[in-house]
Amino acid sequence: MVFLSRTQIIAAIGAVLLVLYVLDLVRRRKLSEEYSLLWVISTVVVALLGFSTPLLVWVSRQLGIVQENSTVFAFGLAFSVALLLHLSVRLSRLGQENQALARELALLRQKLEELCPGRTPAVAPADAPAADRT
Amino acid sequence: MSVLRVLVIIPAHDEQESLPRTLDELRAVVPGADLLVVDDGSRDATAGVARARGVQVLRHVFNLGVGAALQTGFRWAVEHSYDVGVQFDADGQHDPAYLEVLLEPVRAGRCDVSIGSRYVQRSGYRAPAARRIGMMLFSALVGAVLRVRITDTTSGFRAYARRVMEVCQHDFPRDFPDAPLLITLGRRGFRMEEVPVRMRERRAGRSFYTLGTSLYYPYKNLLASLMALLQRPAQP
Repeated sequence: MVFLSRTQIIAAIGAVLLVLYVLDLVRRRKLSEEYSLLWVISTVVVALLGFSTPLLVWVSRQLGIVQENSTVFAFGLAFSVALLLHLSVRLSRLGQENQALARELALLRQKLEELCPGRTPAVAPADAPAADRT
Repeated sequence: MSVLRVLVIIPAHDEQESLPRTLDELRAVVPGADLLVVDDGSRDATAGVARARGVQVLRHVFNLGVGAALQTGFRWAVEHSYDVGVQFDADGQHDPAYLEVLLEPVRAGRCDVSIGSRYVQRSGYRAPAARRIGMMLFSALVGAVLRVRITDTTSGFRAYARRVMEVCQHDFPRDFPDAPLLITLGRRGFRMEEVPVRMRERRAGRSFYTLGTSLYYPYKNLLASLMALLQRPAQP
């Protein structure tokens, strides 16, 4: 197998190791299948580009990239951006869901206190520091 | 004039110092109104202080933001079939003596949201210059979009008719319920009116608007206002 540069080898091996690690995380249930998808796609694409020099050269020519190394990193960067955006969107949704839960809890607790006064356990104060916006 | 059931919703975060006086004053001035404190994840005795005064208390397990606290209050108000919800600060800035003035346009059916404003008449309030410029900007923005004159978009002294609360209980800004909210409400067809009130210095506790937020505030509110214009308004 002909490699164009050492960085290409490093990127390819790095991508393979990462894909193995991601799969292992899924196996150990530390990462849900849903979230592993973007990771697996991105790392597999980078590994393919790293290991298949003809493909790398072809893609680089198509994109007008002179240095083939840059192609590998460009793809890596593009996937990173996609992943971060995906996470920000998920985080926003999680925040909304979190807020809805806290609200329901407040309303249910009040109802419970109404039904059996003095018998509800005290709500433990949240350990996490409060968001500073309030 | 029919008798409306009025709920005064008081979002409170770490307000144990000023809340007792605020509640006592409300009780003395408007004995007919029901009071609800929404404790937004306080780490002091805010909830206990309110309960000790026999006030209804809803408690968020962690801090969510003043808008989120109000939204919880709206949920409760709608569930308990109140006709009007009044947003009222815990820190003593708002004067219960103006509650009637605030309620009057809603009661008369002239508007759905009544906003207590510091600027409609000379009421002795002068904000820092940067804040005044920001307020003028947002006031102009709301005015241009809604063709309604709201000089004090940041006022936290407002009365919401039931139909507004019914919408807001599902959709309300989490942190600053200001200009973007007014735009959203206006586009949904709710009428707004401003009434002159006098506001006082806060008694204790921290303002919702701190230094860190002074940078985030204009960004968030400009973006959210723009989005409020682009989003398709749901029918009330």
